[in-house]
Amino acid sequence: MKVILVDDEQKFINMLEKRLAMRQIQADVAFTGDEAIEKVRNTPYDVAVLDIKMPGISGLQLKKELRALNPNLKIIFVTGHGAGLESGEDPAENDIYLSKPLDIDILIAKLNQVAN
Amino acid sequence: MIKKIHSYLKTIWPEFHKHKQNVHLESFYTFTDYWHLWVMSIFILAVTALAPLGFVTLIHYQLIQQSVDSELNLRTEQLTSSTKSSVSFFMEERLNALIFTVNEMGYDQLTKMDGLAEILKNLKLGFGGLSDLSVIDTDGNQVAYAGPFNLEGKNYKNQPWFSESLKRTNFVSEVFTGYRDVPHMIIAVRSIKPDGSFFILRATLDTERLIQTLSSHKTGTHTDIFLVDHEGVLQTPSENYGQIFTRTKLTFPTDQTQTKVIMDKHQKNSPIISAHCFISTHIVSTPFVLVVQKKKAAMMHVWLEMRRNINWTVGISIVLILLVITFASTFMINRLYLIDKTKAETMLQMEQSQQLISIGQLAAGVAHEINNPLAVINQTAGYVKDLFSFTDEPQKAEDIIEHIDSILDATDRCGTITRQLLGFVRQFDIQIKRTCLKNLITDVLSFHKKEAEYRGISVGVSVPDTFPDMETDSGKLQQILVNLINNAFQALDDGCCLDISASQITPKMIKLIIQDTGCGIPEKNLNKIHEPFFSTKQDQMGTGLGLSITYGLVKKLGGNISVQSTEGVGTCFTITLPIKIQEGKLA
Repeated sequence: MKVILVDDEQKFINMLEKRLAMRQIQADVAFTGDEAIEKVRNTPYDVAVLDIKMPGISGLQLKKELRALNPNLKIIFVTGHGAGLESGEDPAENDIYLSKPLDIDILIAKLNQVAN
Repeated sequence: MIKKIHSYLKTIWPEFHKHKQNVHLESFYTFTDYWHLWVMSIFILAVTALAPLGFVTLIHYQLIQQSVDSELNLRTEQLTSSTKSSVSFFMEERLNALIFTVNEMGYDQLTKMDGLAEILKNLKLGFGGLSDLSVIDTDGNQVAYAGPFNLEGKNYKNQPWFSESLKRTNFVSEVFTGYRDVPHMIIAVRSIKPDGSFFILRATLDTERLIQTLSSHKTGTHTDIFLVDHEGVLQTPSENYGQIFTRTKLTFPTDQTQTKVIMDKHQKNSPIISAHCFISTHIVSTPFVLVVQKKKAAMMHVWLEMRRNINWTVGISIVLILLVITFASTFMINRLYLIDKTKAETMLQMEQSQQLISIGQLAAGVAHEINNPLAVINQTAGYVKDLFSFTDEPQKAEDIIEHIDSILDATDRCGTITRQLLGFVRQFDIQIKRTCLKNLITDVLSFHKKEAEYRGISVGVSVPDTFPDMETDSGKLQQILVNLINNAFQALDDGCCLDISASQITPKMIKLIIQDTGCGIPEKNLNKIHEPFFSTKQDQMGTGLGLSITYGLVKKLGGNISVQSTEGVGTCFTITLPIKIQEGKLA
């Protein structure tokens, strides 16, 4: 399973990447939307873990751009606003939303769920 | 029943006297001094209601007074005329009798023994009112006398009346005492003896009969009828002035022959109606002036009685009107007060709700800002645990310390945010204190820092270093900033600008400008944005209270707010505020 983690909070995403690696899940990191688009264009990822609020392009907008590049890409949103739908979210898409602080076991369970 | 009376009394009893000053509520009241309003309401209503009543009553009094005066004048004039006729007739009748006697009898018959006594007897029988009769020659010698007094042989040459009667054919004297030393008056007729010399037939008039004639015209005790001579000396007794020969202060213009009625005041200062006329006969004028005086108060007792009744009626009406006005005013002001109180309480609740909404909006941003460092702490701590759980290799202390530092950095971030939040919430206490506007703007903007960063919104703050600290309610000022900055962020599209600038415009006033390049406000809505419950954010759950409360807060701080906006270009709020809020202005 190839995973890409996108968040402007560098320390958070670096730690997450290392912890996933310890659990045998390979993940790439991107700190901006543009970096994420570039990586998705070059690599067929299975799952993208996106922060919703980021400078520049937002997580919701980024989802559309990444889906355009890889229609099969599964999306998990991570948000600091807690559980629940935010303005602009589309419930019909059945995206998964996880709130910060993030439990690594729940994230892995959700990754496995969407990957299968 | 008692409950009913109590509830009725409650509606008319001034509820506002229980009004207590409440710094939170006071500024929302439309009227501040209900006692003053109540007094003014009663005063204005009373003046409006009672002035016409008083005016009409006054006119009514004057009309009645005038008609009564006119009636009294007429009646006095009529009485004077009829009395004058009687007195004139009394004297004229006796003068005519003397003229007839002189012409019929001649000097010889009159001076014959017992001839005069026979004539006096017949005159008394025919006319009455004569006391004695005498014949006097040109030397003043009384040549014949008939009467009850012992006056035979008297000489009247030195008597003033004798010389006067010689000058005229007919004569009526004033009242005088004469030889008898008793007040009396005479009438005399001059004639010619057979030898060609004059002689006088004189008769003494019965003054009691004259007084009776005057008294017969009196109607009631309030009328005084008397005779005076041209100098104002009493010729008959007067109730008002005293006995015969008393000198009164009455004066009479001699060119006035008609009856004259005047309003006068008696020496006791009571108003009287006084009429006078000169007494004259067809044959000769007399030295008498007839005076009729009526006490006005006594004659007006009917009118006074009526006036007393009118006064009572008007008095009771005034009391009733004042009672009704007082009850009506109390009822109205009570209702106004209760409505105003309810409005003030509602407005306070709205303001507090709006504060909570503002805090709620900020709380979402704060939660996000705290969750990010918490996520770092969570993952870093989890990673350190994983290092010991997933590997058997010994960990380098430097690596562990690096991760712990990372956790400490994240906790510092959390601490900074919570400190800002606490500082922000503390401002909600009502107090006037020294406030640095620039710090306040920075504090409020700190909650929007990440949002501005994410959305690419450029935020500029321009406050000169020389800008003075303000002495104001920092909580209210902060609320103003939160409302306007929140509004601006909602109106701004990503990548737009928000500029906040402040400057001192006078030694006592500052100007704060919050300008955005957002969607702007349509011109038709510009006049409505300060109205409560006006909102265009239907889909965003807007309460419509934000700008209304902001407007109220600016007013409470003694300032003004204005807005210029162009749809699609942006909006600029300009606020002027006093540097030092006036004592007692803040509520």
